[in-house]
Amino acid sequence: MAGETVENDVGEAAAEIAQHGSEAEHGAAGHSPLEQFQIKRLIPIDIAGIDISFTNSALFMLIAVALVTLFLTYAMHGRAIIPGRLQSIAELSYEFIANMIRENVGSEGRRYFPFIFTLFMFILFGNLLGMIPYSFTYTSHIIVTFALAAVVFIGVTVIGFVRHGAKFLKLFVPSGVPMFLLPLLVMIEILSYLTRPISLSVRLFANMMAGHTMLKVFGGFVVALGVLAGWAPLAFVVALTGLEIGIAFLQAYVFTILTCIYLNDAINLHH
Amino acid sequence: MSGFAFRIGIELVVALMVGTGIGWLLDRWWGTEPFLLLLFFFLGAAAGLLNVVRTAREMQKQLASAPVPPSVAVDEDDER
Repeated sequence: MAGETVENDVGEAAAEIAQHGSEAEHGAAGHSPLEQFQIKRLIPIDIAGIDISFTNSALFMLIAVALVTLFLTYAMHGRAIIPGRLQSIAELSYEFIANMIRENVGSEGRRYFPFIFTLFMFILFGNLLGMIPYSFTYTSHIIVTFALAAVVFIGVTVIGFVRHGAKFLKLFVPSGVPMFLLPLLVMIEILSYLTRPISLSVRLFANMMAGHTMLKVFGGFVVALGVLAGWAPLAFVVALTGLEIGIAFLQAYVFTILTCIYLNDAINLHH
Repeated sequence: MSGFAFRIGIELVVALMVGTGIGWLLDRWWGTEPFLLLLFFFLGAAAGLLNVVRTAREMQKQLASAPVPPSVAVDEDDER
């Protein structure tokens, strides 16, 4: 079984439940709650020994991009002065990000709007697509979130150096510090700067993975406890699903606002 | 609900991991076995605390500028 490849406390706990649970449901309960995160090759592609297969993760990224594009173009095709429902949502999301940039970066940040808006929609749709049963959540893989965070990190650093040159390094030198403490504090500041891409990616990935694992584990409880006692975890799963949808929005928001804050550091040179 | 606490926790843990990781790598690179790892462990801890303080300040600033008073709703999905 596929779940056996992943050794994990959660997996073992679920396997145990499956064993103690009803024998009739054995086939369904035998799945690991981590199976949902498995990458499957849909179209194997191998170029010069590098595996660049089209996977289910890539498929859902494509679906997300297509959905965002379709949604925004379709919603705005009327260009009504009094917007309808869809147009309202599209305008709301545009204004939400535009306001976020104006408040956190200032007018200088306006030229980075396309990137930040794309980032927000891509993460949001990835999180929301993951809420559909049997779909794949690409934001629950650290390599995906790390790639996004690395683009932000490298981009922000390059923007900082291009705009301020060597003065950008002032970001690492706190003001009003005695000379003998300065080397230590500069080291700490640099370390703190280097943690940004990691914490940015881990936050999104951990939230999505923990939430989805929890959903599956409690789903397993429902099956294992059967008709008599299964209602309690079922109610919990329903509540958890609502929470997860909230988290899908929240984490997309957090990722975007942190990008804005980092951009602000690079453009306006202060914490 | 989990948003604020989770952010702070991750900030602290990740800084520790990055610090320790850098120390470990530099140790392997220069052959100065345990010393840089120990040094960077503590630097990472310091960076983590710095991050936590900054994150907390940011959150406070956001709460202060939020339209709803903090006593009524400290909800994180207030993102319109």
